[in-house]
Amino acid sequence: MRSIKNHLMFILPLIAILLGIEFYLVFDRTTASYEKGLKDGYSMLVVTTKPVTLNDLKVLNSHIGSIESIKRKNIVSQITQGIGKESQDEILKQLPYFYDVRLDEYVPIRGLNKIKQDLESSTFIKRVETFGSSYSSSYRLFSFIKFILKLFIFFISIVSVFLIVKQMEIWKYEHRQRMKVMEIFGASLMLRSGILFRMAIVDAFFATVLTSAIFLYIKFEWAPISGIDILMQKQDELFDMNDMGLLFLSSLCIVIFAVYSVVISNKGVEE
Amino acid sequence: MSNIINAQNLTLAYDNGEKEIIRQATFSIKKGEFVFITGPSGSGKSTLLKALYGALKPQSGSLVVGGRDLSKINTRKLQELRTHLGIIFQDYRLVNEWTVEKNVVLPLMIAGYPEDVQKAQAQRLLKHVKLAEYTHKYPLELSGGEQQRVGVARALSKNPVIILADEPTGNLDEYSSNVIWDLMENACQQLKTTIVVVTHKIPTIFSLPYRHFIIEHGGVYEVN
Repeated sequence: MRSIKNHLMFILPLIAILLGIEFYLVFDRTTASYEKGLKDGYSMLVVTTKPVTLNDLKVLNSHIGSIESIKRKNIVSQITQGIGKESQDEILKQLPYFYDVRLDEYVPIRGLNKIKQDLESSTFIKRVETFGSSYSSSYRLFSFIKFILKLFIFFISIVSVFLIVKQMEIWKYEHRQRMKVMEIFGASLMLRSGILFRMAIVDAFFATVLTSAIFLYIKFEWAPISGIDILMQKQDELFDMNDMGLLFLSSLCIVIFAVYSVVISNKGVEE
Repeated sequence: MSNIINAQNLTLAYDNGEKEIIRQATFSIKKGEFVFITGPSGSGKSTLLKALYGALKPQSGSLVVGGRDLSKINTRKLQELRTHLGIIFQDYRLVNEWTVEKNVVLPLMIAGYPEDVQKAQAQRLLKHVKLAEYTHKYPLELSGGEQQRVGVARALSKNPVIILADEPTGNLDEYSSNVIWDLMENACQQLKTTIVVVTHKIPTIFSLPYRHFIIEHGGVYEVN
């Protein structure tokens, strides 16, 4: 019973840290695709005095991903209904060139202003319209959620680390006598701490399996019927099998650090 | 016979040399000898024993045990030396969460002996210390005398060159004390093990010839 309690006292804070890590990974993946969505859904209007190519604009700012020319004839035909053909041609001649410009990656609002400045510095660009307000409010909300989640994960990790340290102190006390006796009889550091390492690695394994099981459940059982659009659409991004390796590696690092601090602090105790 | 323990101008101290316990002691112990070290409380008997198994480094002078100078020894060599020592403590120092059998075979386990050899040796030794039926019990289920017999069995399990005992009968009644002295006499007589016992009182019934050192005012003197 005491042994189960001891394991749980180590496994639970470890799971809390692993949940934090996995939440971060999941959030990072889903927000990356959200960022992509923002980027893909965003375009700016560039008005030029002459026809331009993608390279012409890329030279001005490297974030320009693609450009699409807006057909001038369509614009003219909409604004010149009822006007004669000659007048239409004259207007067409005077009309500048319009381009729908898309970016190569998600750029925050400051970056957008920079792009606008860079483009407007050119002599052949008459005007740049960035439509920044809706883009900016989406981005701010998105940044706020990201910040809150990181803060939450950070505090959960801090609390968990304290719990692990507390458990390490219990281990230190519990294994002190055994390690002391083994040291007196000539056992090496590795032999003395072998039991602790085995115990900690088993705990790391269980913590990884339990954390993975929670996310696999969310991915396959809960997300499809959750009614939450983003979870239903991004189901694949909720848990990646590679995450299991990353979680196990993270928990191993934590337990090795924990065990080493117990072992080092028990060194030379017989003196 | 050659010396197995040799101290030359040995000084032992705590607190970085500020508190000297043993001062400039010179003595030697030959292979197979039985040695008692006595002295008043706080005279440094246990300190000297600690130094003999390398838990306290000499402040100055040299202390050679089993051919190793403990004033210059590194961790690996010290671990190796300790596997050739059998150590018995007044407070037994058994691992309470291990069975009696596992406690007894600890030195064999450390030396990497196969499990069947460990088991056979545990059976033989527990029979020898009259605890054959306690194999699977835990130390806290045993009386003080029984725990100390487990401690003696552990000390003997790897046929050590030297047994160091710190007040081995200090917590025991007369009957249990006599059993422990018998076991150590046998080890010295039959296995030719060198035995160094720190005690406040030499047993009245003791059949083997022995040497007696007394520690007083920081000096180690042999009593003739």
